Amino acid sequence: MSNQSSVEIQTEWDIVAARQLGRNVAKELGFGTVDQARITTAISELARNIYLYAGQGRIEIQRLTENGINGILIIAADNGPGIPDIRKVMEDGFSTSGGLGAGLPGVKRLMDDFKIETTLGEGTDIRATKWLR
Amino acid sequence: MNKQMARYIQENMTEIISNWQEMMKNEKGERSFEVMPAELMDQTSREFAELMTSNLLESHQAYESRLNDFAEKVVRYGWSITFVTKAINHFGEIVFAGMERDGVINSDNLRAFAEEFNKWITPIRDSTIDTYSKTWERTVSLQKIALQELSASLIPVFDKVSVMPLVGTIDTERARLIMENLLEGVVKHRAEVILLDITGVPVVDTMVAHHIIQAADAVRLVGAKCMLVGIRPEIAQTIVTLGINLNEFTTTSTLQRGVEQALAWTNRKIVEVDEV
Amino acid sequence: MNVRIPILKLRDTLIVSIQWELDDQTAIQFQEDLLTKLHETSARGVVIDLTSIDFIDSFIAKVLGDVISMSSLMGARVVITGIQPAVAITLIELGIRLEDVMTALDLENGLDKLQLELEA
Ligand SMILES: Nc1ncnc2c1ncn2[C@@H]1O[C@H](COP(=O)(O)OP(=O)(O)OP(=O)(O)O)[C@@H](O)[C@H]1O
Ligand SMILES: [Mg+2]
Repeated sequence: MSNQSSVEIQTEWDIVAARQLGRNVAKELGFGTVDQARITTAISELARNIYLYAGQGRIEIQRLTENGINGILIIAADNGPGIPDIRKVMEDGFSTSGGLGAGLPGVKRLMDDFKIETTLGEGTDIRATKWLR
Repeated sequence: MNKQMARYIQENMTEIISNWQEMMKNEKGERSFEVMPAELMDQTSREFAELMTSNLLESHQAYESRLNDFAEKVVRYGWSITFVTKAINHFGEIVFAGMERDGVINSDNLRAFAEEFNKWITPIRDSTIDTYSKTWERTVSLQKIALQELSASLIPVFDKVSVMPLVGTIDTERARLIMENLLEGVVKHRAEVILLDITGVPVVDTMVAHHIIQAADAVRLVGAKCMLVGIRPEIAQTIVTLGINLNEFTTTSTLQRGVEQALAWTNRKIVEVDEV
Repeated sequence: MNVRIPILKLRDTLIVSIQWELDDQTAIQFQEDLLTKLHETSARGVVIDLTSIDFIDSFIAKVLGDVISMSSLMGARVVITGIQPAVAITLIELGIRLEDVMTALDLENGLDKLQLELEA
């Protein structure tokens, strides 16, 4: 079962809209304050990456139910330049923009599952899940 | 045939049970039986025998409730699932051999009885295993909750000073819980200094140290200070051997020294007063 | 729709209480406003209260870190107060430690700490 909603990312304001959507869904699903903060932060990181590096894209929030356990899936998809070296960007502190480089490895730590697919010149698709324990 | 089997079991109960206990004691690698007091063993054996006849004689409901009780018990006693399966098989074998010896089972009806035994034993075995594993899961999750509750509360000892005793092994899941309770506690009790007491933590490896460092960092962010107390000699050795850097930490060997330090940080100290 | 974060002055200290979720623009604007105000008032301390903030991502963290370093260059000490447990945990998991940042449980504690620091 899944139930989805999404936000197009084109301006900085859309980052705010995406994380508000995520926070609301997380709240409705019954996540506690710490998990809400984790989910909101993860969305913010992914949305900002889209805005900064791909120019535009989409954040999609899905509710999941698997074996009776509820969860939230964040999909961050864009048709931007792609990421040349995934191994490198997953290292703490790697940034091409003078950021803290905490974004992607941080999102991986904040969420339960994290998958990244990227093709140079075609775009990036990142999926991160958090389960309600 | 069911009736015949049930009658035979009831008439020869004592003998069957003692044969069965003998067989179970001889099972290698199983200490479940050896460590049981004789009285408890007899009682458990009888309950087991009743369970075994229950599905021959009683209603399905009565059987189910016996099954649940029994599974709960053996999980508590620490019987392994192999042991339970053997118990069921052996019981069947003994009854079969006995009925054969007494001539109830003979070459004419052997096949029919073998089939009947199968129909008797198989569902008991299946449902026992099923109930056993459900009970087991529930027990484990209860223990987990108990452990989590046991080991993650912040205790205010003085104004502004709180202690969090850590007990048991720290895995990632527990580390998260400890961190949450720790921070909620700091804010709730308005603690300025937290003593993390690791006296009850058996091993401090790099992962545990990592969790402790993260907890201390988070405590600093909410506006308090963390001190690590209860460092036993062997823990100090492993920490240094593993090259874990706790330099940013104030650490002390005992809780008492930690409390003194915490009071000093908050500009206080304990003094003796003369009686008036 | 740019809302500016109000910056109050109390003796030689600036007090900022962030009441809304920060968007990037507001955060950058805040950085500028604070530095300008520091310059105008030559305040020696800043307290930034985050009690109402329920998450901080790496961008906001960077802005905060930068504000602290820049203030320090201008001769002012910064104390961050009221970081919520959920926010602290998330920051740590993100890998952001905000080292060398003075923190306090709440505004009042923060002002006390700052006073001690400035007297020293
Ligand atoms: N959607 C994307 N498309 C193309 N490149 C990306 C995308 N997301 C991330 N990257 C690349 O991966 C690098 C690492 O991203 P990450 O979010 O971990 O750090 P950062 O954005 O540089 O800094 P921070 O998030 O800490 O402010 C980026 O610098 C960028 O080069
Ligand atoms: Mg980023």
